[in-house]
Amino acid sequence: MLHDIRVLEISAPETMMAGRILADFGAEVVVVEPPGGAPGRRMEPFLADVPGVERSLTWHALNRNKRAITLDLNAADGRELITTLLRNFDAIIEGAAPGDGAPLDGIDIPGTVVRCTISPFAQSGPKSDYLATDLIVMASSGAPSMTGDSDRPPIFYSVPQSIMEAGAEAAITVLAGIVARDRGAGGQRAEVSARIAAMMSSMSMPTVIGSGNHEPKRAETTIAGARVPAIFECADGYMLVTVPAFGPAFGRMTQRLAKWAADEGHMPREIADVNWSTFPRDLANKTSTPDQLRALVEGVTLLCRGKTKSELGTAARKLGLLAAPVMDMRDISESPQYRERGLWNSVPITHDGCDFDVPVRFAQFSNFSIETRRPAPTLSQHTAEILRDYAAISPTELQALFVHGVI
Amino acid sequence: MAGPLEGIRVLDMSWVMVGPVSGRYLADLGADVVKIESRSRIDPLRTLGPFKDAKPGSERSVSYHNLNAGKRGLAINIKEPRGRDVILRLVDWADVVLESFTPGVLESLRLDYANLKARKADIIMVSTSILGQTGPHAAGTSGVGTMGAAMSGASGLIGWPDRPPSGTYGPWTDGVAPRFIVPSVLAALHRKSRSGEGCYIDVAQAEAGIQFIMPAYYEYAANRSIPTRRGRAGSPLRCPQGVYPCAGEDRWIVIDASTDAHWSRLREVVGGGLADARYDTLISRLRNREAIDHAVSEWTRTRDAQETETELQAVGVPAHIVSRAGDLARDLHLRHVNHLRRIEDPEFGEAEIEGPRSSFYGTPLAETRRGPRIGEHSAEILRELCGMDDREIAELKESGVLV
Repeated sequence: MLHDIRVLEISAPETMMAGRILADFGAEVVVVEPPGGAPGRRMEPFLADVPGVERSLTWHALNRNKRAITLDLNAADGRELITTLLRNFDAIIEGAAPGDGAPLDGIDIPGTVVRCTISPFAQSGPKSDYLATDLIVMASSGAPSMTGDSDRPPIFYSVPQSIMEAGAEAAITVLAGIVARDRGAGGQRAEVSARIAAMMSSMSMPTVIGSGNHEPKRAETTIAGARVPAIFECADGYMLVTVPAFGPAFGRMTQRLAKWAADEGHMPREIADVNWSTFPRDLANKTSTPDQLRALVEGVTLLCRGKTKSELGTAARKLGLLAAPVMDMRDISESPQYRERGLWNSVPITHDGCDFDVPVRFAQFSNFSIETRRPAPTLSQHTAEILRDYAAISPTELQALFVHGVI
Repeated sequence: MAGPLEGIRVLDMSWVMVGPVSGRYLADLGADVVKIESRSRIDPLRTLGPFKDAKPGSERSVSYHNLNAGKRGLAINIKEPRGRDVILRLVDWADVVLESFTPGVLESLRLDYANLKARKADIIMVSTSILGQTGPHAAGTSGVGTMGAAMSGASGLIGWPDRPPSGTYGPWTDGVAPRFIVPSVLAALHRKSRSGEGCYIDVAQAEAGIQFIMPAYYEYAANRSIPTRRGRAGSPLRCPQGVYPCAGEDRWIVIDASTDAHWSRLREVVGGGLADARYDTLISRLRNREAIDHAVSEWTRTRDAQETETELQAVGVPAHIVSRAGDLARDLHLRHVNHLRRIEDPEFGEAEIEGPRSSFYGTPLAETRRGPRIGEHSAEILRELCGMDDREIAELKESGVLV
């Protein structure tokens, strides 16, 4: 869909998802790395737990379908070459380090180019000099303050999330700029804050206080003193079951859940006969009691304990419940749903014939298919061809650039 | 221009979160977005908090406004033949249609892609649901992003090893999927500008969620190990890095000072046992993680979280409080970039919602307007976009189609 678009990605951890989304849509994305390799090549996990610049699985996951060059942007030749390359490109994605500005600041950028700069906390303002890592950005997003158990520290994702949030946000921004250009606007200069991107994970939390509400607390859900867990143990793992789902839209789902638990003999029939759609109101009017909710939770606990994820998942679909198996990576790999839908595409990871199926097709189109056209690039894999094709660098000049450490 | 997408027209038939968030992105970027609703089946998001001043009511949900800001609203029963006809006229008007019904519902109303494409060949239509429109488990799977999170593998990665998973905060994939829906729509708009082609786009929340934890999937695919929840924040390859307690109830700070430069500044500030030459090297720090974490915690435990963040950042140590709702409302960065914006509503008065998530120099984005009240713009939309006169609109109203 973007086969006529060329994107230069000055690689930083937070640019990788942006470039990958565009590359998956068919854009020609060229990654620019310093001669020692991009920071993303040093991100865990590593192939067979052995480190190396070609072995980062995070790099592989976020750089498929791209080509890569090395270029020292601090060298005069590096800056001159970037300027020349830019004449052939439509968009730039870059990450700005706090205090250092953006990598392409001071470079003459053609007026037709869409330039998107990602910074942790915006490039101006009170936190613009803040040093930031993934944990720092996520801490500032709000979501971890409400994640985990109240008797222990807040929980963070073990997979860096700020780079995914910021990168996807930058993909939206670049594409909006390209659509504007298609419609007659010139190039665009846009900025994405990784922190604001990551705040999406905190849902509506940023609006809570400014709208006259109390500060929410990190704690297991309790309703009128009744504990309501979100995740229940089952025979072979865990099952998400949203018990406190009431109101006209969700209450019917709770009603069906309650009926099933009673049908299976895990709780008295009268609990299934409670009107769960109106339960919060009835509780306030004292026509319902917290004990009814406790009994439902107990019934669901017993129901889950005796069944597998697969059995519970099948029933959830059949009955229409707000419930789903808590899947691990093997469950995902073996799921007939994902398999038959065509989520997978083979991805070479090590460039030595080692292929794996990975979930590539994040969207399915009636007349386009996301494919793995090439594996993530090795360090400097395409420097010679890109500099030859887009900057008219001769083989002798290429060697000179290498000898002087520019590439 | 009122944003880069000025002139793009979007018919938003989605509800709850994932679709409305996607529509809001397009509205923020300048598109004209019409939201379809009906009083007989209101957007369930209106039943979810936070509510203004914690008082529930179908016109009081701040979440609703946060996800529907900048849209216009039409209240109509699309199951009525004349309601369906209005939708088709809006399809004539629109470039993009968004929907998030349970798979199969639009087919039964003959408003699925085949019908819309027959009406308008170059329409770009997005369907989004928990598991997508195809595959053996698609039919019957209907719900919210907590289910998408569970089936994406994310929920199982969050929690303590000695307890069941805690799961994600809220319906996580409702926020992730729009990051793949919106780029898909924009890429399709670009292609349409070149080739005139429209398309149908099917995004499953769970599949979008997998993208955000892809390194964990690669770990399984390549190394055959199944990543699981590990509780403690931070990487086993870095030290010190983690969450430390501060003074007050449930106050925490993240400190990430594993590199030599950050570490030398941190130990200077904290002093005490951290000055020990034992902790000079990364390897010795990793081997003494517990002692270091203990010393850092003892230092932070009696200190104010916000002051500690400011002090550490001032000397060049990456640190940030674990922001709670109140911290976000007061946050200097968010105030500086005007991310939190006042809205006014005739029923509940003032509230605060978020602004756009990106900024464009030279192409200022539109003002953030509150979301539409149910059917707020029905007459205007029918008149301007569907070409109806007052008599036709009155007839629709009388026959109960505008509900």
